[in-house]
Amino acid sequence: MGDKFIRAISTEEIAPGGMKTVDLAGREIVICNCGGTYYAIQRRCGHMNAPLELGTLDGKYVTCGMHCAQFDITTGQALSGPVPTDLGNERLPPRVAAMMQNVAMQMQHVRTECIRTYETKVEAGWVHVAQ
Amino acid sequence: MKTESRKEALQYFFEKVVGPMGFKFTPDFELKDFLLEQEVMLEAKHGIPFCPCQPIRRDRARDMQIVCPCIPFHREHFDAIKRCWCGLFVHKDVIDPNSLPQLPPKDVGLG
Repeated sequence: MGDKFIRAISTEEIAPGGMKTVDLAGREIVICNCGGTYYAIQRRCGHMNAPLELGTLDGKYVTCGMHCAQFDITTGQALSGPVPTDLGNERLPPRVAAMMQNVAMQMQHVRTECIRTYETKVEAGWVHVAQ
Repeated sequence: MKTESRKEALQYFFEKVVGPMGFKFTPDFELKDFLLEQEVMLEAKHGIPFCPCQPIRRDRARDMQIVCPCIPFHREHFDAIKRCWCGLFVHKDVIDPNSLPQLPPKDVGLG
Protein backbone atom coordinates (compact mmCIF):
# COMPACT_ATOMS: atom_id res chain seq x y z
CA MET A 1 0.00 0.00 0.00
CA GLY A 2 1.52 3.30 -1.05
CA ASP A 3 1.42 6.52 0.89
CA LYS A 4 -1.62 7.81 -0.95
CA PHE A 5 -4.21 5.71 0.89
CA ILE A 6 -4.98 5.31 4.58
CA ARG A 7 -6.65 2.20 5.97
CA ALA A 8 -10.03 3.38 7.22
CA ILE A 9 -12.48 0.64 8.17
CA SER A 10 -13.19 -3.05 7.70
CA THR A 11 -15.73 -3.80 4.98
CA GLU A 12 -17.57 -6.03 7.46
CA GLU A 13 -18.38 -3.05 9.65
CA ILE A 14 -20.75 -1.41 7.16
CA ALA A 15 -23.80 -3.24 5.84
CA PRO A 16 -25.03 -2.43 2.32
CA GLY A 17 -26.87 0.89 2.46
CA GLY A 18 -25.05 1.80 5.66
CA MET A 19 -22.74 4.63 6.63
CA LYS A 20 -20.10 4.96 9.28
CA THR A 21 -17.88 7.80 10.42
CA VAL A 22 -14.13 7.51 10.68
CA ASP A 23 -11.55 10.00 11.79
CA LEU A 24 -8.58 9.93 9.45
CA ALA A 25 -5.74 12.14 10.55
CA GLY A 26 -8.14 14.75 11.88
CA ARG A 27 -10.53 14.56 8.95
CA GLU A 28 -14.11 13.50 9.66
CA ILE A 29 -15.12 11.17 6.86
CA VAL A 30 -18.21 9.06 6.27
CA ILE A 31 -17.72 5.74 4.50
CA CYS A 32 -20.82 4.68 2.56
CA ASN A 33 -21.57 1.15 1.39
CA CYS A 34 -23.54 1.55 -1.82
CA GLY A 35 -24.41 -2.01 -2.83
CA GLY A 36 -20.91 -3.29 -2.11
CA THR A 37 -19.11 -0.27 -3.57
CA TYR A 38 -17.57 2.00 -0.98
CA TYR A 39 -17.56 5.78 -1.19
CA ALA A 40 -16.02 8.31 1.14
CA ILE A 41 -17.53 11.74 1.72
CA GLN A 42 -16.97 14.58 4.13
CA ARG A 43 -18.97 14.10 7.30
CA ARG A 44 -20.46 17.57 7.42
CA CYS A 45 -23.53 18.47 5.41
CA GLY A 46 -23.00 21.17 2.79
CA HIS A 47 -25.99 23.05 4.18
CA MET A 48 -25.54 23.51 7.94
CA ASN A 49 -22.77 21.10 8.91
CA ALA A 50 -24.96 18.40 10.43
CA PRO A 51 -23.37 14.92 10.53
CA LEU A 52 -24.45 13.14 7.37
CA GLU A 53 -24.17 9.61 8.77
CA LEU A 54 -27.25 10.43 10.88
CA GLY A 55 -29.22 10.88 7.68
CA THR A 56 -30.19 8.19 5.20
CA LEU A 57 -28.45 6.58 2.26
CA ASP A 58 -30.58 5.40 -0.65
CA GLY A 59 -28.59 4.20 -3.65
CA LYS A 60 -26.02 6.86 -4.35
CA TYR A 61 -28.04 9.58 -2.63
CA VAL A 62 -27.51 10.71 0.93
CA THR A 63 -30.18 12.78 2.66
CA CYS A 64 -29.19 14.89 5.64
CA GLY A 65 -31.22 14.16 8.73
CA MET A 66 -31.42 17.79 9.78
CA HIS A 67 -33.05 19.66 6.89
CA CYS A 68 -33.20 16.91 4.22
CA ALA A 69 -30.62 18.42 1.86
CA GLN A 70 -29.54 15.75 -0.62
CA PHE A 71 -26.16 14.94 -2.13
CA ASP A 72 -24.74 12.50 -4.66
CA ILE A 73 -22.07 10.51 -2.84
CA THR A 74 -20.27 9.59 -6.06
CA THR A 75 -19.63 13.20 -7.05
CA GLY A 76 -20.36 15.21 -3.91
CA GLN A 77 -22.81 17.30 -5.86
CA ALA A 78 -25.53 19.11 -3.91
CA LEU A 79 -28.86 18.00 -5.38
CA SER A 80 -31.35 19.87 -3.26
CA GLY A 81 -31.43 22.31 -0.41
CA PRO A 82 -33.41 22.17 2.82
CA VAL A 83 -37.04 21.15 2.75
CA PRO A 84 -39.30 23.82 4.27
CA THR A 85 -40.87 22.90 7.58
CA ASP A 86 -44.33 23.73 8.74
CA LEU A 87 -45.55 24.01 12.29
CA GLY A 88 -49.17 23.79 11.22
CA ASN A 89 -51.59 25.75 13.33
CA GLU A 90 -49.59 25.36 16.49
CA ARG A 91 -49.29 28.71 18.28
CA LEU A 92 -45.86 29.31 19.71
CA PRO A 93 -45.09 31.52 22.70
CA PRO A 94 -44.18 35.01 21.35
CA ARG A 95 -40.52 34.79 22.34
CA VAL A 96 -40.12 31.39 20.68
CA ALA A 97 -41.96 32.61 17.58
CA ALA A 98 -39.64 35.62 17.36
CA MET A 99 -36.60 33.37 17.67
CA MET A 100 -37.92 31.01 14.98
CA GLN A 101 -38.57 33.97 12.71
CA ASN A 102 -35.01 35.15 13.20
CA VAL A 103 -33.64 31.66 12.46
CA ALA A 104 -35.81 31.42 9.34
CA MET A 105 -34.62 34.82 8.16
CA GLN A 106 -30.98 33.80 8.59
CA MET A 107 -31.48 30.42 6.97
CA GLN A 108 -32.68 32.11 3.79
CA HIS A 109 -29.09 33.23 3.29
CA VAL A 110 -27.54 29.80 3.83
CA ARG A 111 -26.39 28.20 0.60
CA THR A 112 -26.16 24.46 0.17
CA GLU A 113 -22.66 23.69 -1.04
CA CYS A 114 -21.35 20.52 -2.66
CA ILE A 115 -19.58 18.13 -0.31
CA ARG A 116 -16.07 16.78 -0.69
CA THR A 117 -15.54 13.21 -1.82
CA TYR A 118 -12.45 11.05 -1.45
CA GLU A 119 -11.08 8.29 -3.61
CA THR A 120 -11.41 4.83 -2.06
CA LYS A 121 -10.17 1.33 -2.69
CA VAL A 122 -10.83 -2.00 -1.03
CA GLU A 123 -7.93 -4.25 -0.22
CA ALA A 124 -7.84 -7.36 1.96
CA GLY A 125 -11.24 -6.62 3.44
CA TRP A 126 -10.45 -3.04 4.35
CA VAL A 127 -11.63 0.21 2.85
CA HIS A 128 -8.75 2.59 2.19
CA VAL A 129 -9.30 6.30 1.67
CA ALA A 130 -7.02 8.63 -0.27
CA GLN A 131 -5.25 11.25 1.79
CA MET B 1 -27.14 22.72 -8.26
CA LYS B 2 -27.24 21.02 -11.62
CA THR B 3 -30.63 20.40 -13.16
CA GLU B 4 -29.66 17.16 -14.90
CA SER B 5 -28.35 15.56 -11.71
CA ARG B 6 -31.47 16.55 -9.79
CA LYS B 7 -33.71 15.19 -12.54
CA GLU B 8 -31.88 11.89 -12.31
CA ALA B 9 -32.29 11.83 -8.52
CA LEU B 10 -36.00 12.67 -8.68
CA GLN B 11 -36.52 9.91 -11.21
CA TYR B 12 -34.73 7.44 -8.93
CA PHE B 13 -36.87 8.34 -5.90
CA PHE B 14 -40.17 8.64 -7.79
CA GLU B 15 -39.77 5.24 -9.44
CA LYS B 16 -39.66 3.63 -6.01
CA VAL B 17 -42.91 5.31 -5.02
CA VAL B 18 -45.01 4.93 -8.16
CA GLY B 19 -43.94 1.37 -9.08
CA PRO B 20 -45.76 -0.35 -6.21
CA MET B 21 -48.85 1.71 -7.03
CA GLY B 22 -48.99 0.28 -10.56
CA PHE B 23 -47.61 3.32 -12.35
CA LYS B 24 -44.49 4.00 -14.40
CA PHE B 25 -42.91 7.02 -16.04
CA THR B 26 -44.47 7.96 -19.35
CA PRO B 27 -42.68 6.35 -22.30
CA ASP B 28 -42.78 9.80 -23.95
CA PHE B 29 -39.19 10.73 -23.14
CA GLU B 30 -39.49 14.34 -24.23
CA LEU B 31 -42.53 14.93 -22.00
CA LYS B 32 -40.89 13.20 -19.04
CA ASP B 33 -37.76 15.27 -19.43
CA PHE B 34 -39.72 18.50 -19.69
CA LEU B 35 -41.92 17.79 -16.66
CA LEU B 36 -39.00 16.72 -14.47
CA GLU B 37 -37.20 19.90 -15.42
CA GLN B 38 -40.20 21.96 -14.35
CA GLU B 39 -40.27 20.11 -11.03
CA VAL B 40 -36.59 20.82 -10.46
CA MET B 41 -37.32 24.50 -11.03
CA LEU B 42 -40.29 24.42 -8.65
CA GLU B 43 -38.19 22.67 -6.04
CA ALA B 44 -35.45 25.25 -6.40
CA LYS B 45 -38.04 27.98 -5.80
CA HIS B 46 -40.24 26.42 -3.12
CA GLY B 47 -38.09 23.65 -1.65
CA ILE B 48 -40.66 21.05 -2.75
CA PRO B 49 -41.15 19.40 -6.17
CA PHE B 50 -44.77 20.33 -6.75
CA CYS B 51 -46.79 18.99 -9.68
CA PRO B 52 -46.01 21.36 -12.56
CA CYS B 53 -49.57 21.39 -13.89
CA GLN B 54 -51.34 22.46 -10.68
CA PRO B 55 -51.51 25.88 -9.03
CA ILE B 56 -49.84 26.41 -5.67
CA ARG B 57 -52.48 27.92 -3.40
CA ARG B 58 -50.39 28.78 -0.32
CA ASP B 59 -52.66 26.49 1.63
CA ARG B 60 -50.35 23.91 3.16
CA ALA B 61 -52.92 21.12 3.46
CA ARG B 62 -54.01 21.47 -0.18
CA ASP B 63 -50.53 22.11 -1.52
CA MET B 64 -49.26 18.90 0.06
CA GLN B 65 -51.72 17.04 -2.15
CA ILE B 66 -49.92 18.19 -5.29
CA VAL B 67 -46.41 17.19 -4.27
CA CYS B 68 -45.16 14.87 -6.99
CA PRO B 69 -45.94 12.01 -7.17
CA CYS B 70 -49.44 13.03 -6.12
CA ILE B 71 -51.00 9.69 -7.10
CA PRO B 72 -52.18 8.65 -3.61
CA PHE B 73 -54.30 11.80 -3.27
CA HIS B 74 -56.06 11.50 -6.61
CA ARG B 75 -55.86 7.76 -7.13
CA GLU B 76 -59.44 7.14 -8.25
CA HIS B 77 -59.26 9.69 -11.04
CA PHE B 78 -55.79 8.63 -12.18
CA ASP B 79 -56.80 4.97 -12.23
CA ALA B 80 -59.82 5.85 -14.35
CA ILE B 81 -57.79 7.79 -16.93
CA LYS B 82 -54.68 5.57 -16.58
CA ARG B 83 -52.38 8.55 -16.11
CA CYS B 84 -51.76 11.41 -13.73
CA TRP B 85 -52.93 14.88 -14.66
CA CYS B 86 -49.70 16.14 -16.15
CA GLY B 87 -48.91 12.79 -17.79
CA LEU B 88 -45.60 12.16 -16.05
CA PHE B 89 -46.91 8.82 -14.81
CA VAL B 90 -49.08 6.30 -16.61
CA HIS B 91 -50.37 2.85 -15.75
CA LYS B 92 -47.77 0.15 -16.29
CA ASP B 93 -49.75 -1.38 -19.17
CA VAL B 94 -49.85 1.87 -21.17
CA ILE B 95 -47.70 1.83 -24.30
CA ASP B 96 -49.05 4.88 -26.13
CA PRO B 97 -49.83 7.66 -23.64
CA ASN B 98 -51.13 9.92 -26.41
CA SER B 99 -54.04 7.56 -26.96
CA LEU B 100 -55.35 8.11 -23.42
CA PRO B 101 -58.38 10.38 -23.15
CA GLN B 102 -58.15 13.28 -20.71
CA LEU B 103 -61.47 13.05 -18.90
CA PRO B 104 -62.60 15.30 -16.07
CA PRO B 105 -63.57 13.60 -12.78
CA LYS B 106 -67.31 13.94 -13.43
CA ASP B 107 -67.00 12.02 -16.72
CA VAL B 108 -65.57 9.00 -14.93
CA GLY B 109 -68.16 9.00 -12.17
CA LEU B 110 -66.23 11.06 -9.63
CA GLY B 111 -67.03 14.40 -8.01
